[in-house]
Amino acid sequence: MTIRILLVDDHPIVRQGLKTLLEGHSGWEVIGEASDGAEAVEKAKHLSPDVMVLDVTMPRMNGLEACRVLRRQAPGLEILFVTQHDSPQMMREALEAGARGYVVKSNAARDLLAAVEAVSQHRVFTALNGRNVPELS
Amino acid sequence: MKLRILLADDHEIVRRGLRALLEKHENWEVCGEASDGRECVEKALQLNPDVVIVDIGMPNLNGLDTTRQLLQHDPHFKVIVLTITDSDQVIREALDAGARGFVLKSDAARDLVSAVEALQNKRMFFTPRVNDLVLAGFLEKGQTVSRNEAPKLPTLTAREREITQLLAEGNSSKEVASLLNLSTKTVETHRSNIMRKLSFHSIRDLVVYAIKNNLIQIELPPPPKTPAGPTAA
Repeated sequence: MTIRILLVDDHPIVRQGLKTLLEGHSGWEVIGEASDGAEAVEKAKHLSPDVMVLDVTMPRMNGLEACRVLRRQAPGLEILFVTQHDSPQMMREALEAGARGYVVKSNAARDLLAAVEAVSQHRVFTALNGRNVPELS
Repeated sequence: MKLRILLADDHEIVRRGLRALLEKHENWEVCGEASDGRECVEKALQLNPDVVIVDIGMPNLNGLDTTRQLLQHDPHFKVIVLTITDSDQVIREALDAGARGFVLKSDAARDLVSAVEALQNKRMFFTPRVNDLVLAGFLEKGQTVSRNEAPKLPTLTAREREITQLLAEGNSSKEVASLLNLSTKTVETHRSNIMRKLSFHSIRDLVVYAIKNNLIQIELPPPPKTPAGPTAA
């Protein structure tokens, strides 16, 4: 079954990089893109993705706020953060907001595929810089 | 013959995005990639690219000092600086360093192709904000002091700036020595000179200096959620 993914990051060039990486995986499809949290919430309503790859720091509505809204709006959606913040506190906050995964942007090329694979099967995936983190759930 | 481009950014995901964007142009090829400034200088000397695209916020050697080193080796290198901020100070430093293009990362998908085309045609490319500053007499000596400008402090040499960045990134003197192929004693002498020049007494002061002077960049987390309710006037 195809995994349908929505990409959310305020930098188009980062979305392009993520898209290139994800579309190299057969059976995965990037069905849409958004550049902030508010647009992500709106697009999730119409597109019903299986997985959302979400940045933290964005204009209008940041990723954590969007994640909280989406948790209520689309309980079946799995959210994976891909962020600059290599911080256990930020990771904890992301998981508390309802995310299933957390990957640091500098390692996205290494961790992203495994992370999407895991969260699409409703498993937790967390990795800070250079180290995997034990599941917090 | 294809235009050969070298990409330097510490995020592989960004390099992938840039590569995908640039390689849509059939007469361009990405001839190499680097994940920090030091690697960029090495690869540029090996590969002799037509254009080098350099992120400002890279570890080990930031993009501004990378630009300076590249042009010191060969003034013919054409460098485009990619940045997340267009503060007056960053723009001024990029121009001073000798960059011929200045593109905001957030606008790269729109502006980068135009920037490379401009350099290919022996022109320069800057975001509209840079043009505004230049028009305002920004380049004239003694004009305009930016409100964002860091306080004036004694000038560090290129080597001292490199060492300051590496120390501010959390490397010990021994680690810096190993990265720069110097003896630990030499690095410690540089370190003492830097601290004395800047009248600093702690590594914390040095980190703050490195951030204020764009030797290193940090991303701040989003502000904490504020509880709903009336706000104080």
